[in-house]
Amino acid sequence: MSFSDATAAVSDELAARDDIIICDGVDKWYGDFQALNQVSANIKEQEVVVVLGPSGSGKSTWIRCINRLEQHQSGRIVVDGVELTNDTRNIEKIRSEVGMVFQQFNLFPHLSVVDNISLAPIWVRKRPRAEAERQARELLERVGIPEQAEKFPGQLSGGQQQRVAIARALAMEPRIMLFDEPTSALDPEMIKEVLDVMKELALGGMTMMVVTHEMGFAREVADRIIFMESGEIVEAGTPEHFFTNPQEDRTKLFLSQIL
Amino acid sequence: MSSELEHLARGTAELIASADEREAEEAASRPDEPSLPPLEWLKVNLFSSVLNTVLTIVFGLAGVLAYQRLLNWAFSHEREWDAVRVNMRALFTFTYPSSQYGRIWVTLGIVLALAGLSLGLSRMVGQGFSLKRISTWCMAWGGAVIAGILLVQPHAKRSPDGEVLLDADFEPVRESFGTAMADRGWWWLVGVILFAVGLALWVVLGDVKRRTTFVGAVPFTLGVLAFAVSTLWWFHWGNYGQQGDIIEPGRTVKDSAKLPWTVMWLVLTGAYLLGQRLATTDRAGSIRVVVNFSWLLAPFITFWVILRDPQIDYAHVVSTDLPMALGFMIGGGAVLFFLTKPGVGEAGRIVGVGLFGLAIFNWVAAFFGVYPMLQKARISFLLLALVALAAHNFAGERSQRLRFVCAWAGVMAMLHYLVTMINAPSTVDAPDEFVGGFLVTVYIAVFTMIFSFPLGILLALGRTSTLPIFRVLSTIYIETVRGVPFITILFFFSTFLNIFLPDGMEIEQLAAAGLGFALFSAAYLAENIRGGLQAVRRGQYEASDALGLTTVQRTGFIVLPQALRVSIPPLVGATISTFKETSLLAIIGIIDFLRVANSVIPGQTVFLGVRMEGLLFVCMIYWIGAYGMSKFSQRLERHLGVGEH
Ligand SMILES: Nc1ncnc2c1ncn2[C@@H]1O[C@H](COP(=O)(O)OP(=O)(O)OP(=O)(O)O)[C@@H](O)[C@H]1O
Ligand SMILES: [Mg+2]
Repeated sequence: MSFSDATAAVSDELAARDDIIICDGVDKWYGDFQALNQVSANIKEQEVVVVLGPSGSGKSTWIRCINRLEQHQSGRIVVDGVELTNDTRNIEKIRSEVGMVFQQFNLFPHLSVVDNISLAPIWVRKRPRAEAERQARELLERVGIPEQAEKFPGQLSGGQQQRVAIARALAMEPRIMLFDEPTSALDPEMIKEVLDVMKELALGGMTMMVVTHEMGFAREVADRIIFMESGEIVEAGTPEHFFTNPQEDRTKLFLSQIL
Repeated sequence: MSSELEHLARGTAELIASADEREAEEAASRPDEPSLPPLEWLKVNLFSSVLNTVLTIVFGLAGVLAYQRLLNWAFSHEREWDAVRVNMRALFTFTYPSSQYGRIWVTLGIVLALAGLSLGLSRMVGQGFSLKRISTWCMAWGGAVIAGILLVQPHAKRSPDGEVLLDADFEPVRESFGTAMADRGWWWLVGVILFAVGLALWVVLGDVKRRTTFVGAVPFTLGVLAFAVSTLWWFHWGNYGQQGDIIEPGRTVKDSAKLPWTVMWLVLTGAYLLGQRLATTDRAGSIRVVVNFSWLLAPFITFWVILRDPQIDYAHVVSTDLPMALGFMIGGGAVLFFLTKPGVGEAGRIVGVGLFGLAIFNWVAAFFGVYPMLQKARISFLLLALVALAAHNFAGERSQRLRFVCAWAGVMAMLHYLVTMINAPSTVDAPDEFVGGFLVTVYIAVFTMIFSFPLGILLALGRTSTLPIFRVLSTIYIETVRGVPFITILFFFSTFLNIFLPDGMEIEQLAAAGLGFALFSAAYLAENIRGGLQAVRRGQYEASDALGLTTVQRTGFIVLPQALRVSIPPLVGATISTFKETSLLAIIGIIDFLRVANSVIPGQTVFLGVRMEGLLFVCMIYWIGAYGMSKFSQRLERHLGVGEH
C-alpha cells in the first residue's frame, strides 16, 4: 500500500462509502511561493480526518481552499458533488453546506450570542426568525452553554466563544465541518471543553476535517490522519498505523519532535 | 476650515465629560471611602508642591483678571444687550412672517415630542448627577456670581434723562462702591441663594449619601428648563417692540412666547413620561423602532409641509401624481414580489439587468431632451432597478417577501409625496428670503446629515470595493471634492447648478446650497467611514463568507455596523463641523444666524454698529449645539461599546 496515495489509506468499512470531498492534484501559489503542491485526497462521508504537519506546511491553506476562502489555481476540488469554480452561485451553495471553525473564533462582536448563531439561518436558509432563534438555543444547549444566549461575545471566555462558533457553524446544518486549529488560541483548561464538543460531533456522524496539534484527539477520534509538509501530503493512515508505524522519514522526524 | 481649533475644542469637551463620568463611576464604586475635606482637597490638588503652588497662583490671578475684564465689558454702560434681546426673532427666524409662526412651533413640538419619547425609551441614559456634583455646581456658580458682584466696577452715573455723566477727562463718573453694592440687590439674591443651596446640600447630607444619591440627568434638565420657562411668566425679559427695521412693534418677549414655550415644555415632559411608561411594556422594542424611524421622517415632514405651504393642484394630483405613485407602488411591488421568490434564478437576473438598462437609458436620454419623462418617474424607476438587482438577497418565505414589498411601497409613497410637495408652488414664493437666521442653520445642517450619511457610506464602500469601476469612480469623486475649497463648491451649486440640470428641473438656491453641503460633506464622511471599514478584521469577512452570506448581507449585517461604530467620533466631529460651517452660507447671500448678528443688527438705525453683543450670543448658541452633539456621541459610544473587545 502506498502511503502517499492518501485516499487508499482508509479502512474497508469507510472505503465502501461515497466520497464527499474530492481533491485532485490541487496546486496553490501565493505569488512565486507554492503553498500546495499536487494535493490529492478524497474524504468519505462521515469520516473524521485530522491534518497534521509543521508550521507553514499548508494545512490551513488546504482546508480554506475547500470552502473557497482561498482559490486554488489548478487541479480539481469537488465538494458534495459540486466542483469549485469561479461561479459565485456554486460558492455560496458550497459555503452553506460546509461549516468552518477558526482558530480566532471570529464571532461577530456586535451581535449577541443568539444573533450570531441565527443570522445565517435567517438570511441564507431563509428560516423564520422565531424558529432560527429556537434552534440557536437548542444548539447552545448541545454545546453546553444555554445560559449565555443573551450575552455578547466579548463577555465570554475563549472556550465558550469557540463553542458558540461551533454552534454558529452547526446552525446551517452543514454536511461537512472544517476546523482550523480550533483550540490553539485557548488556555489549557478550556481546550477540553471544546474537544469534547468536537468528539460529540464526530460520534454523531459529521464529516470533519480538523487541523490540530492535539495528538490525543487525533489518536482517539480520527478515522485517518494526513501528514503534510511543504505543501505536499507526505503520508496518510489510520491513527494506529500513523503513530506506531510511520513509513516516511519526515513523518518520523515530526513525530519525534512532538511526542 | 479651522479643524485644529475644532479638534481642540472637542478634545476639551471630551476631557471635561470623561472626568465627570469618571467621578460618577468612582463615587458609585466605592461609596464607603470618604472624600477629602475642602481644605485638604485644596492642599492636595492645588498646593501640593512649589511648582503647583506657583501655577495655581499665576493662573488663579490670570483667571480672576480675565473674569473681571469680561464682566466689566459685559456690564459696561456702552453695551447694548437690547440689540440681542430685541432681535431674538431676527436672530432665530429672520424675516419669516410672524403670522406663520405656528408652523415653527408645530415643527419644534414634533421634534421635542420625539426627543422626549426617545429619552424616555432610551436605555443609554446614565445614572445622572450625584448630589455632590449638584452641590458643587451650586456653590461654584453662587461663588462666581458673588465674586462678580464684588469685582465689577461701579456703574457710570446717569443724568435724569439717561445721559452718562462725564468728568473733566471725559471719563464716566462712577457710583461709590457702597451704592454699587447696594444696587446689585437682585444679583446678591441669586448668588447667595445658589451658594446657600449648595452649602446646605453639602452640610445636611452625609458624605456617603452625597456621593451615592443621584438625580437623573433628564429630570434635572427638565427641572432647569421648567425654571427657565417659568421666568417668562414673571420676569421682564425686555420689549422687542421698540424700534428696529424688521421687528414687529408692541409686544414683549414674554407676551408672545410664554404660552408656546410652556406648551413646548409640557410636550417634552409629557413625551418623556410616556416614553418611560412605554419602555416597561413588552412592545418597547418595536416602539423604539417606530420612534427611530419617525426621526428619519420628521425632517422631511417639517421642512416641506410645515415650513412651506404648497398650493396643490388637485386636478394634476388625481390625473398624474396619484396614478404614477400607485403604479410604482403596486407594479414595482409585484415585480419585486416575483424577484424575491426563492430560486427565481436566471429569470430574476434578466429582469433586474433589463430594468437597470432601461433606467440608465432614461437618464441618458433625459440629458439630451429626447425622451421626456417626469423627473420623479425617472428617479423611481432607477430606484426600482437598483432594488431589483439586489432583490435576490431578500428572497424568503411569503410573509418576508410581502414585508419587503410593503417596505418598497412605503418608500415609494413617501418619495412621491415629497417630490410632489417640492414641486408644488408655494405661498411662500421665495423661501430664500423668508427662511433665515437660526432656522437656516438648522435646515442646512439637518439636510446635510440626512443626505451625506448614506452617500458617504456608499462612497466608502465603493472605494474599498473589489470591483474596479466602483473603486475608481468613488476615488475620483472623493479626491476631487477633497481637493477643492468648499467655498468653490458652494458658489458653483448656488450659481451654476441650474444650468447643468436637465430641462424642466429647477432647484432653489437654498436647496442647491444644501446639496452642495451634502455632497461635500459626504466625501469627508466617506473617508472617516473607510477608516472604520479598515478596522474591521479580516476574520469577520471570512466568517461571514464561510457561513454563505452574500456580499450585500455581509456588508449590511457584519461589516458596516462594526465600521460605523468605530467611526462614531470622527462622524460626530464631521457633523459638528457641518453645523458650524453653515455660517459660510453668508457668502452666497443667504442670511443665516451669524450674518444677522454680524451685519443685519449693526445696520439697524437704533443699533448702528452694535456687533459684539450679537456675535457673543451667536457663539454661545453654536457652542451649546456643538457641545450637546459631542456629549451625545459619548453616550452613544459607551452604549454601543457593550460587549466589545
Ligand atoms: N496570504 C498569503 N500570502 C502569501 N503567503 C501565504 C499566505 N498565506 C499563507 N502563506 C504561506 O503559505 C504557507 C502555508 O501556510 P499555511 O497557513 O497554510 O500553513 P499552516 O500549515 O496552516 O501553518 P500553521 O501551523 O502555522 O498554521 C506558509 O509558508 C505561509 O507563509
Ligand atoms: Mg494554520
